[in-house]
Formats: sequence, C-alpha cells, structure tokens
Amino acid sequence: MEQKTILSIKDLEIEFRLRGKDLHVIRGVSLDVHEGESLAIVGESGCGKSVFTKSLMGLLDSNGKIAKGSITYNGTDISAYRTEKEWMKIRGGEIAMILQDPMTSLNPLKTIGAQIEEAVYLHQGLKGAAAKQKVIEYLRDVGIHDPETRYKQFPHEFSGGMRQRVVIAIAIACNPKILICDEPTTALDVTIQAQILSLINDLKEKYKLTVIFITHDLGVVANVADRVVVMYAGDIIEEGLCEEVFFDPKHPYTWALLSSLPQLGVKGEELYSIKGTPPNLYKKIEGDAFAPRNPYALKIDFIKRPPFFQVSPTHKARTWLLDPRAPKVDPPEFIARLKEGGYALNE
Amino acid sequence: MIKYLCKRIARSLLTLVIILTVVFCLLRLMPIEGYFQNFDKLTETQIQVGLQEMGLTDPLPVQIVRFYGQLLQGDLGVSRVYRANVPVMDILADKIPLSIRLGSMSLLLALIVGLPMGGLMARFKGKFFDKFGTLFIVFIQAVPAAVYYLFIQMFGTELLGIKMTFDAEDWRSWILPVLSMSLGNIAYYGMWMRRYMVDESTKDYVRLAKAKGAGGSRITFRHIMRNAIVPLAQYIPTSFLNTVIGSIYIESLYSIPGMGGLLVDVIKRSDNTMVQAIVLLYATVGIIGLILGDILMVILDPRISLGKKAGGR
Repeated sequence: MEQKTILSIKDLEIEFRLRGKDLHVIRGVSLDVHEGESLAIVGESGCGKSVFTKSLMGLLDSNGKIAKGSITYNGTDISAYRTEKEWMKIRGGEIAMILQDPMTSLNPLKTIGAQIEEAVYLHQGLKGAAAKQKVIEYLRDVGIHDPETRYKQFPHEFSGGMRQRVVIAIAIACNPKILICDEPTTALDVTIQAQILSLINDLKEKYKLTVIFITHDLGVVANVADRVVVMYAGDIIEEGLCEEVFFDPKHPYTWALLSSLPQLGVKGEELYSIKGTPPNLYKKIEGDAFAPRNPYALKIDFIKRPPFFQVSPTHKARTWLLDPRAPKVDPPEFIARLKEGGYALNE
Repeated sequence: MIKYLCKRIARSLLTLVIILTVVFCLLRLMPIEGYFQNFDKLTETQIQVGLQEMGLTDPLPVQIVRFYGQLLQGDLGVSRVYRANVPVMDILADKIPLSIRLGSMSLLLALIVGLPMGGLMARFKGKFFDKFGTLFIVFIQAVPAAVYYLFIQMFGTELLGIKMTFDAEDWRSWILPVLSMSLGNIAYYGMWMRRYMVDESTKDYVRLAKAKGAGGSRITFRHIMRNAIVPLAQYIPTSFLNTVIGSIYIESLYSIPGMGGLLVDVIKRSDNTMVQAIVLLYATVGIIGLILGDILMVILDPRISLGKKAGGR
C-alpha cells in the first residue's frame, strides 16, 4: 500500500547549549511519517525522543536549537520557523500534543470546560453556546459521563485517568492532523492504561489522525503501533513495521531492549538489564553509539557510524552486523523464542 | 463555608478576648502615674480619691467585667495623659481616617504598579525590562528607606512647588507621602509576582497551553497571572488593614497627624486607656485580615475549600 507522507524529517540535528558546552541531543535523524498511521518512537530515558517531538512543534527550550536538517510538513519546511507567531500556525491546529502527566498538565484554576473551549475558540473560531456545545461533544467523545456537569468542574475534581481524557479532548478540539502522545500512559494506573490507549485508537479512526507515540513501554507499542522507530542516543537505530521490529529485530540495542521486558521474562530467570549507561552527548560520538555497551560489537562499530541496511522495504537497521562482510551473529536465544510465536503481540 | 466562617469568627472573638484580658491585667501592673496628668503635684489622698473615682481600687475581676461592659456599649474610656479627659474614640476618630486614606492609596498604587511590573519582568525574563526592574527592587530593598524618603521629600516638594509639611486640603501634598509609602510595597509585590510567574511558567499546563496553540500574551494573562496571584492574595487584605496602623516615619516626616507611632507614644506616656484601645484595634485588624485573606484564597483558587477538613491544601 503506497502511503502519503505527511511529515518528513531529514538529517535533523538538535543542539542544546548547556553550561557553555554544546549537547548534541539529536544527531542526524531522518524519518517519514505516513498519513493515517500510528508510529511509535521507543527508547530509554534521555535518548532524545521527547526533544525530537518537541522540535516538531517549536517547543524546544530556549537554549536548544535545530542546528541542521529540515522538517517538512505539507510541503513547508517548518524547521526554518523562528518566531512564536509562525509556530502558532502549526501548534494545535496541525500538530497537537498529549503530555505525560495529566495531574499537572491542566490549569488548576480553570474549569475543564473553559480549557477545552479555549482550544475550540483558537482553532475553530467558536464562542459562547456553540463552543460549549462542541466542548460537551468532545467530552462525550473521550468517554466522560454527564459532560454537562463535568464541564463546570475543575481539574482537581477529576481522577488521573479522567484528566488524561480531558487532555485528549483538548488535543482533539484543536482539530489536528497529527497527534503526538508523549508517554500518554506512563503516569496512569495499569488498569487505566489500556482504556486510554484504546480511546486514542478510536479517536484516531474517528478524526482520521496520524498518531505519534513516544514511549519507553514496549507493551504500549505492541498494542497500538503500526510502525516502530527505535531511538538510541539521539539517533534512529532501527525502523520497521511493528511485527518486524518485535519478531525480527536486527540491532543489538533492540535485542537488549526487548530482552529487558519484564512481562516477557521467564519465571526463575534473572531479569535482563542493559549494562552501562548511554553515552555522553557532549562528546562527539564515533561509530555506533551503542558499541560500548554492546556485547556483539565489531571493531568497526567503534570507528565508523553504520549506515542503514535495508532488511525489507519497510524495515531497516543501523548496525554493521547487517553488512555482508560481517560475521554471522545470531540474536540472543530470547529473541528467537519471541519469534517462534510464544508470545502474542496483542494479548 | 458559612458554617466554617461562623466557627472561625467565634474563635477569633475568643482570641481577641484573651489578648484584651492579658493586656488589661498587664496594664494594672503599670505605675499609677499614667492615670493622672499632674501626678507630682497631687497629695496622697487626692490620688486615692482619684483612683477610687476611676474604679481602680476595686478587685481585678470586677474591673475586668466593668471594662467589657463598657466595651459592649462602644465605650473605650477616656484618655488620661495623651489628651486628658477626651474620649479615646474621639481621638482615634480624627486620626484613623487620615492613615487609612494614605495607606490605602499607597497600597493601591503598589498593587497597580507592582503586580504588572512583576508580570512584565517574568514575561521578558532576562531582557532589559527584567534587569531594570531587578535593579529597582534591589535598590529599594538594600538602601534604608529613610534615605530615599528624605530625597523624595526634598526634591519632590521643590519640583511640585509645595510646602514640606502635609496639608490634607491640598491634593498635591498627598502625592509624595503616598509615593514614598508605596515604593517598598511596589518592590515587594513586583519581586514576588515575578517569582511566582516564573515558577508558573515552567509548569506543564503552560506547555500544554502552548501546544494548544495559545500565544505568549494569552498564556501570560489568561493562564499564568491568576495562578501567580493566588499565593500573594492571602497577604493583600492584611496589608490593606495594616494601613490603619500608619507609617511612623512618613507621618512624622511630613507632620501628618495620623496613627503612625501613636501606640509607642501612648505606651511611653503610660496612658493606659489609650494603650488598651489601640491594642484592641490592632488585634481586630490583624484577625480580620487573616480571615479575609483566607476568603480571598477560596475565591481565587477552586482547589481550596474552607469547609472540609480533608482535601484542598
């Protein structure tokens, strides 16, 4: 199926100026987001996934800047935007965002009705009774009972899961094309997580959204994503369809990430954890950023940054192991077990 | 809420009674000179007769009951030394309005200038306006007030072409005292407003508002400002009521016959009835200020509910 690209990122580099030094947070990321898909960006804390998505909306902190590359949205290079005014054309109306912690992402002094209504006003130009009608519709959409009463209530009268629903309603009320969900379930109860994810999926169908999930939770990925992008130290190291990345991962980092899933561990065996810490981003990284923590690292991994090797038309990975000249390395036994289909993806 | 307020007021009255009783008892330990204007010239018998007339030879409990009885009828007694045989009420009635007018004007000025100043400093954090404002705040807080009060008086009166002393009838002579009095508060409100605004602006809900597509000034005025005022609001009623107390320095500088320094004055001259009345006034003002501050918080912040024990903050 040929898909239309809605957002195209080319060789994006983002730097932060911190205590007089430059921190290279994103190091040459290229990514195409297809219209109508749900894409998951996974990686451990500090790998740059949040910064990457913030840059798509011009929400980088003031000491960060796009040093190189382009972000093309609907034919316009939005990475060239400098003023808030330019970004306001994108924010909300084109790309909306759901933040991680619903307990803090609503204004405590405004009724939730007013907060959703602000989005309706900003992006649909509605006011008064018409706007209120719309808000109540959105509240119903996100599964809040008795929206007429809830409209007048304040965030502290809502539970965490309910607040996240309100945050989602705000995002939807902006009428966006792309919805970025920055760890939408991390701060929620496990019981609520599945509800929120399926809500996002329903809304995606209803409003024909393209959804980008940022998460470190591979369980979330398995539930919702069509495509997965694995990030490490500010770079994409593997990209492919959900099944491809889960059942046929190629990059040793993806192996390690999957192996450390506690849900998929075997009782009695010690839980796997990745040794070491991510590299220091102040320094220029030579070769493969994961090499120092990679038991499968080749000599060249420390010298030359691997290019992407295409595994299938939709699957590629940035590791020298895929080079025809590389010695044959089998993925850890655990991955093979996954492959044999011992675990269903959408349980 | 109503129930809470009733309880709160009842408790405040009790506090007031305790304060008054303690002060009343302490004042009985003061030398008896305070009850007579020309103590030195009086004979022992004259003094005894005088004390008896004033009921001061009665046992303490009787005196206390009589004091509260008079108080309930709105009688604060008669000044003995400060202005002999003039009812305390009349003395205060002349002074209080002047101090309140002066104080409330200066507080109003401080709020009108200070809050937006802090807001703008936060909005343009690190830019010229912020640096300029910080300089102003540091100056006001570091330099002793007496120094710039004097400068304002000297240069201000010359500039306006008015006399150094205060004249309630001439509106121009209000300008300098009000301005001098408000400077400290402008710096205070400006500093805290900036601080709370900066605090708020790093919160998640501001990020969400930005992601929603709200612009800079919309975020500043519709989202952050009110949230930043909440922690400050608690103190506004107290500082308003404190204007009754007056400013010793400003009032003496411009010879304003207000409340400033009155308490110190009457204590020095051991005018016990005056001390008693002024203590009553200040204690009431303080307690009302606290209650009003709490009510204002409830109005501004829906999370705070005074009625319930659980929940809120």
